[in-house]
Amino acid sequence: MASSQGGKRVNVSSISPRVEDTFTLSGKMVGAQVRRVEDPRVLLGKTQYVDDLDLPNSLALAFVRSPYAHARIVSTDAAAAQNQPGVQLVLTGADIAEAIKPLRVEYEPAKAPTHKPCDWPVLAQDKVRFVGEAAAVVVATDRYAAEDAAGLIDVEYEPLEPVSDVEQALAADAPLVHEEWGDNVMQTLQAEIGDVAKAFQEADCVVSERLTTGRHMALPMETRGCVASFEPATDTLTVWSSTQVPHVLRSHIALVLDFPEHHIRVVAPDVGGGFGQKGHLFPEEAVAAYLARRLGRPVKWIEDRRENLSASLHAKQQAVQAELAVRQDGTILGIRGRFVGDVGAYSEYPWGSAFEAGHAASSMPGPYKTPAFSFEAVSVATNKTTIGVYRGVGLPIGVLTMERLMDLAAQKLGLDPAEIRLRNMIRKEEHPYTTIIGAEVESGSHRESLQKALDILGYQERRAEQQRARTQGRYLGIGIGCYLEGTAPSSAAFASMGLNLGGYESATVRMDVAGKVTVLVGTHSHGQSHETTLAQVAADELGVSLADVKIIEGDTNAVPYGMGTWGSRSAVTGGGAISRASQKLRTKMLRIASRMTEVPDDDLELAEGMIRRKADATPLMPIKELAHRILVQAGSLPPDEEPGLDATAHYEPPPSTHANATHIALVEVDSDTGKVTLLRYVVVEDCGTIINPTVVDGQIQGGVAQGIGTALYEHALYDENGQFLTGTLMDYLIPTAIDVPQVEIGHIESPSPHTPHGIKGVGEGGAIAPPAAIANAVADALAPFEVRVDAIPLTPERVLGWIEQHKAAA
Amino acid sequence: MAKTQFTELQTIRVRVNGHEYEREVPVRRLLADFIRHDLGLTATHLGCEHGVCGACTIIMDGESVRSCLLFAVQADGAELQTLEGLADGDEMHPLQQAFWDNHALQCGFCTSGFLMSAVDLLNKNPQPSEEEIRHGLSGNLCRCTGYANIIKAVQAVAEQSQS
Repeated sequence: MASSQGGKRVNVSSISPRVEDTFTLSGKMVGAQVRRVEDPRVLLGKTQYVDDLDLPNSLALAFVRSPYAHARIVSTDAAAAQNQPGVQLVLTGADIAEAIKPLRVEYEPAKAPTHKPCDWPVLAQDKVRFVGEAAAVVVATDRYAAEDAAGLIDVEYEPLEPVSDVEQALAADAPLVHEEWGDNVMQTLQAEIGDVAKAFQEADCVVSERLTTGRHMALPMETRGCVASFEPATDTLTVWSSTQVPHVLRSHIALVLDFPEHHIRVVAPDVGGGFGQKGHLFPEEAVAAYLARRLGRPVKWIEDRRENLSASLHAKQQAVQAELAVRQDGTILGIRGRFVGDVGAYSEYPWGSAFEAGHAASSMPGPYKTPAFSFEAVSVATNKTTIGVYRGVGLPIGVLTMERLMDLAAQKLGLDPAEIRLRNMIRKEEHPYTTIIGAEVESGSHRESLQKALDILGYQERRAEQQRARTQGRYLGIGIGCYLEGTAPSSAAFASMGLNLGGYESATVRMDVAGKVTVLVGTHSHGQSHETTLAQVAADELGVSLADVKIIEGDTNAVPYGMGTWGSRSAVTGGGAISRASQKLRTKMLRIASRMTEVPDDDLELAEGMIRRKADATPLMPIKELAHRILVQAGSLPPDEEPGLDATAHYEPPPSTHANATHIALVEVDSDTGKVTLLRYVVVEDCGTIINPTVVDGQIQGGVAQGIGTALYEHALYDENGQFLTGTLMDYLIPTAIDVPQVEIGHIESPSPHTPHGIKGVGEGGAIAPPAAIANAVADALAPFEVRVDAIPLTPERVLGWIEQHKAAA
Repeated sequence: MAKTQFTELQTIRVRVNGHEYEREVPVRRLLADFIRHDLGLTATHLGCEHGVCGACTIIMDGESVRSCLLFAVQADGAELQTLEGLADGDEMHPLQQAFWDNHALQCGFCTSGFLMSAVDLLNKNPQPSEEEIRHGLSGNLCRCTGYANIIKAVQAVAEQSQS
């Protein structure tokens, strides 16, 4: 593997196979293709995920879960369970109603006047609202005993009519998921910007589509889980959780348990994937924290896969109606969209499940210049598992919708799908460009990324190949998906929606007496490679080698208050906070060095472990010597200088940090079976300055795999009674090694003018456009059958159904 | 009574990564739980506990098996290898090295299972084609990497053994 370091090319793997060599590279690190710092401990089996923590005297939890979608709890008989060997305690909803507050998402009413909050009891109170809802908990000496006892708890239910889909939920006489609402609508967002009616009147061509997306989920390979322990001597509650958001968890455990936050420590150890799902406080975690304190013994809760599939969080089931108005030449005049989200029974805590539909709707214009836009986003409660954020949140749906409309318009106007996009995209010279929804797109490469992706694919050759294949009865299709993603949302962005959550991040950067650097940062890596990439940022800021930087995340007793990792935010906000804190530290170091060397501090720099004269790179003093002087020989410091070598910064990202990309899928559809095969998949991404190309490529490849799951396979299914049908990984299918091609990845770097190093976010990107690109490719492949691709996932059954429908009609 | 039967204790002897263990286990205890919680070898992970995801894959008497689909008592007398037994001290096995070189892991939760499946694959077929690697690893699920770098890593080891 080649490694680029400030122009030098070094073959990392040929240096030596030994573990420590990754850490000894020096030179400019931002942009370098270094191997991951975190890998050796994973590869040698030395990680510690939450279930690896076996505390002495520990108890295990098992939850009793509702078999009904909607039912009143008549009674609960736990006597048999309580008499089981090993059982310590059984609690029902009634037992904890006073002790643990329900999870309740509140928006600022002035900003979100239509939002209706609901209580999510940590154990069901009077009724259950989805299959899998926790109704009781058993605490026993081990998980086997706890599960045995859970099976003996007899909850008597009086089944109620379930609300099993959105259409039924919106009917006038629908049963109510939350009676106090009066209907089943959690929130309705509406906006009209520009004169949309006029745009549609004046259009030469209007296309419209109704689309539905499948209910699916993040499905991290490690399920949810936590260990909670209470130490009476110090009155300290410690929760180790498989979470993306340790501080958010701490604050909200304090809130729901009414226990002082400064006596709570949350630790996120190694976390086996999250993708949004683990960015929440869950009922089970609140119960575990409560029980540890009540029983004075550590408790462990590790959910099984069935619980993860049925009772964690689902995502992205929406029904969309959208229209696009264009001129004869393809110029966009206006867009209308109505997005109805099936949010399930409750509201993901603390973000709120109504977020997704609005996010999908507002993402429609994307990279296309749009003079008029109106949308409605309706979030509807049903008796299903609650919807939560999952990689890209609403964007994959908004992008799917818009990109389908662009293809339909191109088809109607006789334009090439690439051409209609190029004509409408924000041009490089138009940055900063303010979009119809008021976002300032600071930089980007919309047309360039599309052009480059077409070049990588060999677009014209593939079109010719497609024609040849059709004459042989083979159906190839090419589909394009382009997006614009506002990464790393700021605190103000949340506030504008009425959501009181920070978008900032915090970091403390410390240097020790040997000149080595410890970085404590509030982000949390669960696969995103922060121990490498964030160390690359700190190494450059402080002029030390990667080996001399250690990144620490995930322990609220160690790191400053931060928001964790989600929303393509960590490189921007964690990197930004580290840059700012490092700059503070550097300023102090150079000021003191200046007084020692009598060289003005403006003429000094930190590089390659030295204080150097900037002009000619003359080394003046090793950094470690300066560190020793400041920290240890503090008596010789100038009297007006404080001792100490650490600095903290809280970094608020700019209102807009926009990444963009083009995805192109080349598919073949088997017209006899309906099976879709991905022949090639091209991505040209632009996340501004790349910190580590290997890591960015890994995020893209992995995101695309998830997007392929969304497009082709994944569907969390319920029947008409609200019964959950996909409770194993044999029923809920995710892509395997056979299904995911090697993604051909191209890069364009349009640095942000607003962030340190010009970094933009990239974590979610790969997963955003595959539904659009693949749906368009399948529609293109099946053009001879005049198929309307109006639903995902594109399962063989569904695709074959469309083909057969056409044949029957013909 | 069924209950007393499946919680009945039985003594088993297993050899894991070259070490002999003799333990008393309830007959219903999963092999995976025995390895992880009784022996403290936590590199083997549980992703589904119903035999689909492959995270718990280990080598038992030379064959890859899912330790969530076996009871500990079924391993009585067996020779087991887990990820902890793959490296030679801190010297990585070629597959571990190749996974590192090729960025074949992100969150790392599935990695142990992939490595053990790849060991088994290369033991049986030292020069697999890309398609054979994909099929050989199709019983292991990864949600982070999109598989491409895992396949490259296995290819790299196969190529090394050829040269």
